[in-house]
Amino acid sequence: MSYRIAGGDFDSAGGATRQLKEQLVKIGVGAAVIRRVMIASYEAEMNVVIHAKTGTLWARLDGGALDLEVADEGPGIPDVELALREGWSTASDKAREMGFGAGMGLPNIRRNSDLFEIETRVGRGTRIRSRIILSGVEQHAQDARTVLREAPSVAADRCRQCLRCIFACPTSALRVHDHGPHVLERLCIGCAACIGECSAGVYGIDAQGAQDVQGLTVPANALLILPHSFLAGFGAEAGPARVLSGLGAMGFSEVRFVDEWEAALRSEARRAAALRGPGPLPLIPPICPAVVALVESRFPSLIANLGPWLSPVEAAAEEFPLRPVVLVPACPAQHARASAASLTERVTALSPARLAAAVRPFLRGEARASVRGGAPAASFAGEPEQHLGELSVSGVRHVLRILSAAEAGALGGTALLNLALCDSGCSGSPLLAADPYLSVQRWQAAGEAVEIVIGAAGAAEAAGAAPCDAMAVARRHPYVQRPGMRLDPDMGEAIRKLAAIDAEERSLPGRNCGACGAPTCVAFAEDVIMGRTAGRRCPHREETP
Amino acid sequence: MSVEELAKLIHARVCSLPVPAERAIARFHAADTMSGLIAHATPDTLLVTSLNNAQIARVAELMDVPGICLVGGAVPTPELLSRAEATGTAILTVAHSLSETEKLLDPVLGGPQRGTP
Repeated sequence: MSYRIAGGDFDSAGGATRQLKEQLVKIGVGAAVIRRVMIASYEAEMNVVIHAKTGTLWARLDGGALDLEVADEGPGIPDVELALREGWSTASDKAREMGFGAGMGLPNIRRNSDLFEIETRVGRGTRIRSRIILSGVEQHAQDARTVLREAPSVAADRCRQCLRCIFACPTSALRVHDHGPHVLERLCIGCAACIGECSAGVYGIDAQGAQDVQGLTVPANALLILPHSFLAGFGAEAGPARVLSGLGAMGFSEVRFVDEWEAALRSEARRAAALRGPGPLPLIPPICPAVVALVESRFPSLIANLGPWLSPVEAAAEEFPLRPVVLVPACPAQHARASAASLTERVTALSPARLAAAVRPFLRGEARASVRGGAPAASFAGEPEQHLGELSVSGVRHVLRILSAAEAGALGGTALLNLALCDSGCSGSPLLAADPYLSVQRWQAAGEAVEIVIGAAGAAEAAGAAPCDAMAVARRHPYVQRPGMRLDPDMGEAIRKLAAIDAEERSLPGRNCGACGAPTCVAFAEDVIMGRTAGRRCPHREETP
Repeated sequence: MSVEELAKLIHARVCSLPVPAERAIARFHAADTMSGLIAHATPDTLLVTSLNNAQIARVAELMDVPGICLVGGAVPTPELLSRAEATGTAILTVAHSLSETEKLLDPVLGGPQRGTP
């Protein structure tokens, strides 16, 4: 890594050190080591800004050490021994007015270096070398658990190579090869961004085909749990009451809404946030499992702030241990949890599209009040009342920005942070046909008809099943950092790869055009070094002699 | 102690918007040189200084410092405020001098630990 430093440019000063910090954080160097590097690097960079016309800062990661080297085209130092004394300085008045020139720069570098060298020639310039041992590096905990397979299903033959999906993915987990898209599962968090972006229907959660309802049978006494906006996805003629009735005709004895468990989770999180009192960072309830995966992979410093509960989909499935449950997930992340090994005996995951295809024949005729359904709770679309210190944010772009702000400690006064990666929460999932706002309106328009259906005694009650109130359910396993963003489990190897990626990126044009099938030049450079280019090349680099 | 609690105790005005979350402050270091400040900056240190420029925010950013307290009734420069808000650093101002502010902070943050990196 190398950075140019402009002499006299106090506005940009420290920028090279800031970039170096980002790289060190990326490879998992611990805070204590980063602190030493920051002091040495900043002081060396400021020496160039204050005294020289121009200079360069190099940083090389060599095994267990970081080598810093700063060379400048400056006046040189006539007496090095004197310059290393604390309090001795030749800085200009302008620099002193800004707080520099205290004669502590070189001593600070030496104090924070394990090896320190200085070469100088009067009239030619100065070169400082600093080596900082990375021993004691606080490596992040490795994820020892079995990682859920959260990647969407891919129908590669439908791909038109438009590349929109690769730019929509918040974790740069998609590549488009000649033979279609490829999901880097280690990076995928199971959000539905690619599904929403692709108009060709390449991505989904249904490997066997959304319209294939052959062999779809409803188990006896089955409970259906779905997002309430599913019921609003059949146009104005078949409103929520009729769809609910159709589901009863299909054989479901009870219908409940995931939104009920979301409301229960929000309520529990509010209580916990109030008990917790003011803290350095807001509590983040796991409303959206894709947000949890995003925090575990891209924002590990916020993991401690994730609320200790199951996501609403998981909680809903846990709450009915004695009944067959058919769960309708709204995204690949929910689908992964619904399909997890511990749940497969009892829980069946069914995509919204397959359920819609199956229920459509039952939507004709009069609505019958044969299903007991819980009232849908307000979600991100029809946002419930906001409590003091509570912030609800939805949509990939906004969530990424708010998590970055939280990580920087810039969410003053926010005690509780409700996040969902789909616009308007699960109601806005691209897997659901209804627009989230239209969905709320249709519920309101359904009015009394829905009340009649909800109020009717259903088959479940007739069969003696006790009604169940939605509750927040505590997690049994802690959250852990995902290894997806790490280049290698071995620190030395990660350092080597980072340096190689940096060198590779420099040879690329920086257009981030996607023509290579990766969303950015950095992502492509990483693919090259990690050996996953699958024959893809940068066409613009080939133009360059 | 949160930035806002500390601000109340030393009669400081919080200038940055939005006010950063209650990042805990456990110590402070008072100085008018960048080298002195960076050498003692930690993620729970309040930097107390009369240096009213964007570079002090850069130092805070690099060292993950939660807040900067400007002394002498200084009005933070727009460059300082802009960079501080971008990095989530709280900016406080007090009318007192550097030494007077030190005397106020000593009993609040437990004098002996101040400045210890």
